[in-house]
Amino acid sequence: MQKQGYWGYLFTAPFVINIILFIAFPIFFSAYISFTHWDLFNPPEWVGLDNWVRLFKQDSFWVSLRNVLFFALIFVPLQTILAFVVAYMLNQSLRGSTVFRLLYFMPVVTPWIASALLWAWLYNYKFGMINWLLESLGVDPVKWLDSKYWWLTIGSVAIVNVWKGIGDSMIAMLAGMQNVPKEVLESAEIDGANKWKQLTKIVFPLVSPMIYLVMLLSTIAAFQAFDAFLGMYGALDAGSVQERNMVPNLLIYRDAFLLTKMGPASAMAWALFVIILAFTLFQRYFEKRWVHYD
Amino acid sequence: MTNRSPVSKTVIYVLLTLGAVMMAFPFFWMLSTSFKTVGGVSQLPPQLIPNPFKWENYVTVWEKVNFGRYTLNSTIIVVLDLAGTLLSCSMVAFGLAMFRFKLRKPIYIVMLATLMMPSQVTLIPSYFIWKTFGTLNTYYPLILPSFLGGAFGIFLIHQFMKSLPGELYEAAVIDGYNPLQILIKIYIPLCKPALAALSVFTFMGSWNNTLGPLIYLQDKSLYTLPLGLLYLRSNTDANTALLMAGAVIITTPVVIVYLIAQKQFVQGIAFTGLKG
Repeated sequence: MQKQGYWGYLFTAPFVINIILFIAFPIFFSAYISFTHWDLFNPPEWVGLDNWVRLFKQDSFWVSLRNVLFFALIFVPLQTILAFVVAYMLNQSLRGSTVFRLLYFMPVVTPWIASALLWAWLYNYKFGMINWLLESLGVDPVKWLDSKYWWLTIGSVAIVNVWKGIGDSMIAMLAGMQNVPKEVLESAEIDGANKWKQLTKIVFPLVSPMIYLVMLLSTIAAFQAFDAFLGMYGALDAGSVQERNMVPNLLIYRDAFLLTKMGPASAMAWALFVIILAFTLFQRYFEKRWVHYD
Repeated sequence: MTNRSPVSKTVIYVLLTLGAVMMAFPFFWMLSTSFKTVGGVSQLPPQLIPNPFKWENYVTVWEKVNFGRYTLNSTIIVVLDLAGTLLSCSMVAFGLAMFRFKLRKPIYIVMLATLMMPSQVTLIPSYFIWKTFGTLNTYYPLILPSFLGGAFGIFLIHQFMKSLPGELYEAAVIDGYNPLQILIKIYIPLCKPALAALSVFTFMGSWNNTLGPLIYLQDKSLYTLPLGLLYLRSNTDANTALLMAGAVIITTPVVIVYLIAQKQFVQGIAFTGLKG
């Protein structure tokens, strides 16, 4: 390592500018804005806790939270379990596992907007493939994305998220599984441990840090989901999204950029941040009980 | 890896194949629908293979609905984002890895912290900054930040640079190189695997970016592919076949890049996920 400090400052200068301009300033500024009424054009007007009080009284805020919570509750466990199962199967000595890995990862790289349009088409009430399959099984067609039941719509989007995200989590877990020493499994086999015992007593504990990471990251991603909903609802803006199907980020986008109510939008952004942080800490708290290191 | 009985292997193959069909069928359906006529789209039972085969959908989307333009716009932004990210991230990572200076630790810690900063909190102030600079409805807000380095890329390259032997630098100094030359002539070529991984992630992120263009661009002639596709879906009575043709156009480049660069993908996940 070199001693001349100025070279260090010179090379890191772009990122220092980035930190000041696009991270430090925005954090303080948006905290300030959350206590003001501001339309971007006139100077911000200090209103104290007004935005915050209104936020907690606002139905759409609670509806959006309920929705995103339900969304995460479906999406995170389902994706984690399926990714684990697929990774476990692909970790056996199989022929063609490269092809399987390739196929399972394809949705990950597909742009959200394309995935969303595609699935909206599969979910289509009249001509969609899914309802056609159901009908041929004798089940009545279902209004997946246009249901009067919010949970059905949110659940349908969550399923698409699982489809899109399995590959990513699977690769991470597969990497974890490949670190499980062969000798450990072999000696367990000699000791008479069956496959199930090996899975639960050896593979799972050794891969648990990866599973934890995957769950943590997908929970955060769930709370921040935006493209998925915008694309599935088929709206260019969040203005036409029905209240019962709202999620926090759509609400923030609508308030800030369509209604230019920067104060409430900033308050909501901070509230969402605090909620994500709380969930992260919550998961960390339970981490000790089931995640094994070393 | 363990060996299994033929029976359980068969079960695994069947399950994996079923899963793979569910993963891949939507893509087949997207492609199939994109070649259908209006009548073919709404035909029940659905046609698996379009009949008649209407490849003119692609001509319509490319020329009349302006997807040629959107593709060009997306390409311009992606290329500049790539250049900016690779340049700035290598620079900053090099600075953090090679030099001892007072603020090195704080900068490094802040970099890690920004990995966790949710974008919605910084979104409105960032918009305000670009508005103040008079750059709304231009590509500056979408391109310039990548020239300032991003936490993910810096972290990835920094990890990689640290794994290279330290004597390399000393040797280059003795040979009379200055730090900038050392970065360009020695470290950047050696960091190729990490840079390749970063390129793939940057390409995906930039190509798929929806929120940025949605907020910053107003003129339809400036739209990128994701925006063009959303616009097609919501503002016109475009038929499903056209939408799917648009979806194929936006998906094909990423799938090609993915097929070429799978290794870099897995490496990228390994660099950041496992060693982090």
